[in-house]
Amino acid sequence: MATALALSSSPRHRWRLPGTATGWFTGWFLLAWIGVVVLPLLIISAFSFFSMRQYQIVYDPTLDTWIGLAETGRWVVVLRTIRFAVSVTFLEILVAFPFALWLAKGCRSNAVRAGIITLLTIPFFIDASSRIIVWRSILGTNGVINNLLVGSGLIDKPLTWLLYSDFAVSFGMFGSYFPTAVFPIFLTLSLIDDDLIKASSDLGGSRLQTLRFVILPLAMPGIVGGIVFTFVPLMAAWIEPQLLGGGQVNLLGQSIQSALSNLNYPVAAALSTVVIGVLVLLLAVLIVSLRGRFSMSSLFQSLDR
Amino acid sequence: MSSAAATAAMPRLHGARIQRRFLDRLAEASGWNVVAVALGCAALLLIYGPLIWLGVMSFSAEPLSGKPYPLTFAHYGLLFANDKWHTPFLKSVLLGLAVALACMVVGTFLARALVRLRRPGGVLFLALLPLFVPGLTIGAALFVFLRTTLGLKLGMWSLFIGHMVWAFPFALLLILIVTIRFDVKLIQAAEDLGAKPLRCFLDIELPLLMPGISGAGIFSFLLSFNELLRSTFLRGNETTMPVYNWAMASAQQSQVPIVFSLSTLILAVTLPVMGALFFMLFARKGS
Repeated sequence: MATALALSSSPRHRWRLPGTATGWFTGWFLLAWIGVVVLPLLIISAFSFFSMRQYQIVYDPTLDTWIGLAETGRWVVVLRTIRFAVSVTFLEILVAFPFALWLAKGCRSNAVRAGIITLLTIPFFIDASSRIIVWRSILGTNGVINNLLVGSGLIDKPLTWLLYSDFAVSFGMFGSYFPTAVFPIFLTLSLIDDDLIKASSDLGGSRLQTLRFVILPLAMPGIVGGIVFTFVPLMAAWIEPQLLGGGQVNLLGQSIQSALSNLNYPVAAALSTVVIGVLVLLLAVLIVSLRGRFSMSSLFQSLDR
Repeated sequence: MSSAAATAAMPRLHGARIQRRFLDRLAEASGWNVVAVALGCAALLLIYGPLIWLGVMSFSAEPLSGKPYPLTFAHYGLLFANDKWHTPFLKSVLLGLAVALACMVVGTFLARALVRLRRPGGVLFLALLPLFVPGLTIGAALFVFLRTTLGLKLGMWSLFIGHMVWAFPFALLLILIVTIRFDVKLIQAAEDLGAKPLRCFLDIELPLLMPGISGAGIFSFLLSFNELLRSTFLRGNETTMPVYNWAMASAQQSQVPIVFSLSTLILAVTLPVMGALFFMLFARKGS
């Protein structure tokens, strides 16, 4: 990052607006942004150390909520959510890495690449509930899949575990978080200089060795990024378990939501703090893996290409 | 003797070499490309299959069953007879426009400031932080902060804040792409010719940044228009379009068919627009 910054502050660039105006604006923005992003996250974490008495928050630090989580067995929900998040994230990365590698290095047609990136971008802008609710008519006992299976005589009676089950929830999650797994990996892979890959094969490296010793280490920040963008939102997934779990699959997101609607702020806060903790931990890993690898400008050059 | 020892040692070495060569050949086989692409496309099908099915089922007499037939326009008829979704729709559009406008203005100023900063890393990280925070978490956090801690009455303004936090990082990234590409010499030339800073900005910089800024506006509008997770916490008594859809979808009631038709209509309008927009954006970069 240092070189890029040195460039922009070199004396040749004397064109900046009255430096103070830019500075002022950035300052005000940061203040407001901290107010609506960082402060709420800190406050909700702090709330997990308060207690409720007669629907009033008692601002008196206590560990009651956390002890209560352990005693009432809510920690099982945390474990179950982690299980879901880990397995779905693992599958996502497993499918996303080869696909991203092909997209960044294997795909020779710019039009095909642009088309696939378009397809990966669009889901960010689609209403989630209508997208997920359709799965009911696909996976349900009289849904498409069961109709096909029964109709073809493969099974006698409809499979009931297709919908309102762990399977259905994982299935819905996989589709929802595939693009977020592909994008960071794709970005770092397309940053890798083709000459490096060519040099590796010129020096006699097999494709497997090139993958193992050249591509994989350079793509690590992207893989960690993909994990962050998949694992963290999965920890707080709510739409998929709610619509496809049918009350059978209780995850962290629903617990937070129901605790909040019961005005049980400390429990909702403690469960949210678990998610925030995971987020901070993974972000730290990401920052360490990014350190000194990429500058802001090189990242955007790759977007530019 | 020595040759016998050598042959005895051979199998192990040989075995290892065969194993390595096997893995290499496995990696070199073009089949891997096919597997990678096939799996990726299957994942894309998991996303788009349901959308297509949504369209098909919106014409089905029983949308929640697996059978598209008998086909009917009944749900569309019901949708147009029903005016309950008009207000949420209108609110979502207005909110989306407000969020888009705010993101465009703030994003432009911040992106220009970031390019000029000595160390933009920290500011950029903070600005992009909401990208990493799950919607449910930031929604719950803002709810506890605004409603419980500050005791404010939630409404459109809190929805605006929640949507802003969600859409702004995307908008900023898009505008940053054009501000980083912007050639400083153009401003220097204009200044040498005696142009005032405001003129430089309005006549030279803004038109060149416009593709990024307008892209950011469209992105922000769409992100806000479809936002559900944060909205469920921050809406107060307001109902936006996704909140309305969610209520209908999760209540398992007879309204579900209407949601199918409504979502199909919205998708029929937005999908081609988004497709064309993004394709142009990415294809231009690809060339």
